[in-house]
Amino acid sequence: MGFSQCNLGEPWRVAMNAEVAARARDFPDLEIVYADAQQDNAKQVADVENFLRQGIDLLMISPNEARPLTPIVERVFRAGIPVVVIDRGIEGDQYTTFVGADNYQIGREAGEHIAAVTGGRGRIVEIRGLPGSPPAVDRSRGMHDAIAAHPDLQIIHSPVANWLREEAMSQMEMALAAHPRIDVVYAHNDPMAIGAYLAAKAKGREQEMLFVGIDALPGLDGGRQAVADGRLDATFVYPTGGREAVEIASRILHGEAVPHRVVLQTEKITAKGSGRISHAGPRG
Amino acid sequence: MTLRPPPRLTGLVALAAVLALAIAFSPVRGGRPVFLDVGNLTDILRQVSEKGILAAGMTPIIISGGIDLSVGSVLALSATLAGSLLMRADAGLWPTIVIVLAAGCLCGLANGLVVARWRIQPFIVTLATMSAARGVARYLSGGAAIPLGFGEGGAPPAFRALAAPIVPYVPMPAVLFLCSVGAIAVYLTWTRAGRYVRAIGDNEATARLAGVRVGLHKTAVYVIGAGLAALAGLIHCAQLEQGNPNDGAGYELDAIAAVVIGGTSLSGGVGTVGGTLVGTLIIGIINNSMGLNNVDANLQLILKGAIILAAVWLQTRRPAA
Repeated sequence: MGFSQCNLGEPWRVAMNAEVAARARDFPDLEIVYADAQQDNAKQVADVENFLRQGIDLLMISPNEARPLTPIVERVFRAGIPVVVIDRGIEGDQYTTFVGADNYQIGREAGEHIAAVTGGRGRIVEIRGLPGSPPAVDRSRGMHDAIAAHPDLQIIHSPVANWLREEAMSQMEMALAAHPRIDVVYAHNDPMAIGAYLAAKAKGREQEMLFVGIDALPGLDGGRQAVADGRLDATFVYPTGGREAVEIASRILHGEAVPHRVVLQTEKITAKGSGRISHAGPRG
Repeated sequence: MTLRPPPRLTGLVALAAVLALAIAFSPVRGGRPVFLDVGNLTDILRQVSEKGILAAGMTPIIISGGIDLSVGSVLALSATLAGSLLMRADAGLWPTIVIVLAAGCLCGLANGLVVARWRIQPFIVTLATMSAARGVARYLSGGAAIPLGFGEGGAPPAFRALAAPIVPYVPMPAVLFLCSVGAIAVYLTWTRAGRYVRAIGDNEATARLAGVRVGLHKTAVYVIGAGLAALAGLIHCAQLEQGNPNDGAGYELDAIAAVVIGGTSLSGGVGTVGGTLVGTLIIGIINNSMGLNNVDANLQLILKGAIILAAVWLQTRRPAA
């Protein structure tokens, strides 16, 4: 089977590929060929065409964008080759199964966590991802809906940091200058939450507020480690779906029926629950 | 060879105008504009320091009639190399700094030699280096960032000095930025080499006929530019406590914008690093002011574009020499 990944320049997608490879080892009858489209729709179409020429039995694809990839996925599906779509969808229903998480739900759970730890009162800085990108929109909407029931929870500053640690650091400095008291920083991903933490620490204000992120990637530079180190109060798993996609692919190839849509659940990671010990030395 | 006067005055007028706007629109706390807090003003210097160092290094390159698109990638490569040396190779503080700066200069040497010896357009040469340096950085780290841990078995805590204040309110990145500007100013104004760079940018053929070693001086500006990009990479690594091979994308364009806003001509021969300092500050103040006011991000992009255009227009309205 072929696995077409849209961009391996992102740690989250590197983690997805690692999950696919790790789970695939448990199925000796599966052989996977990989392609990285480097964030280029045209390259991803060509990658899938290459797979077809190689004679794959199943296509796994995490599309770069829905519309440009829809025709090629439909062509594969109509040729009788099952298709498992991961994370980002395609248009129509000409595929076998979609596996992905629900960013709106993750935003809601983050909002409910914030309401719980603040007792429903507090001043929030929301650091947003790339404007207009679906995860940034849904993670924001979910959180806003969750705190709507708490009129004393206010969003006092909501800068854009485009998912980047460096931009979040500068934006947080301005938020700190503009606001004498901040209770919670909610960032749409962990790198931005860590950037905000570093800015607050440089001003000696990191104890004043809690930092909440999303993604909870494993690894030393991931959000789980940041929670274990006490930098972040909590982070929410955005599952890559790599493991589940391989399991579903195996079931399809063995002729089993599978659901058309699989929604992955998030998980809250806090210092108590993560069970990992810092090996980065004394923090500060 | 006639040189137009440096556009210091118009640049300062633009800077004053931006400052006045920032103060006027600043949120007020305790009866005083937040923008004027000492902490906020030094924040601005810190926020612009990395791109400012790139811009300082870019100035002689543009004055020589060239361009360097690779500095953002060289910054990422340097930050990743620093993280790798500190965390994986257990290299000490000074070996790390020396190796990273040397690696940066090597990238610049490659750019300079190809531009000067093979006479290939710098736009293409540095575009190639931009891609290659990014690739090496990703290869080095396996694609993910290398986080710094301090203390036992980690990076030497002294490395943090690159990101910390020297004395309260004076962050090291800002000091290194101003030192870089000072060094480039000396190079361009008071050394013979600097005057040759200007002459080459003004008219390369004339400079060659006058006996200037064009190849040597052209190579030198790329080495200096990439060396400063490596310095910015070290600061980047210390500030973010990680070496990330994917960082620094697009920094080269911000650096070029700061140089041009500062009155340096993209066609070469004309410009000052003082102007680049002013250009960098103008961009930094605009960003800071809009951030303090929580201006909508889309509106920020539009306003920034308009202000850059206005600043460049101010610069070009001077009489031709």
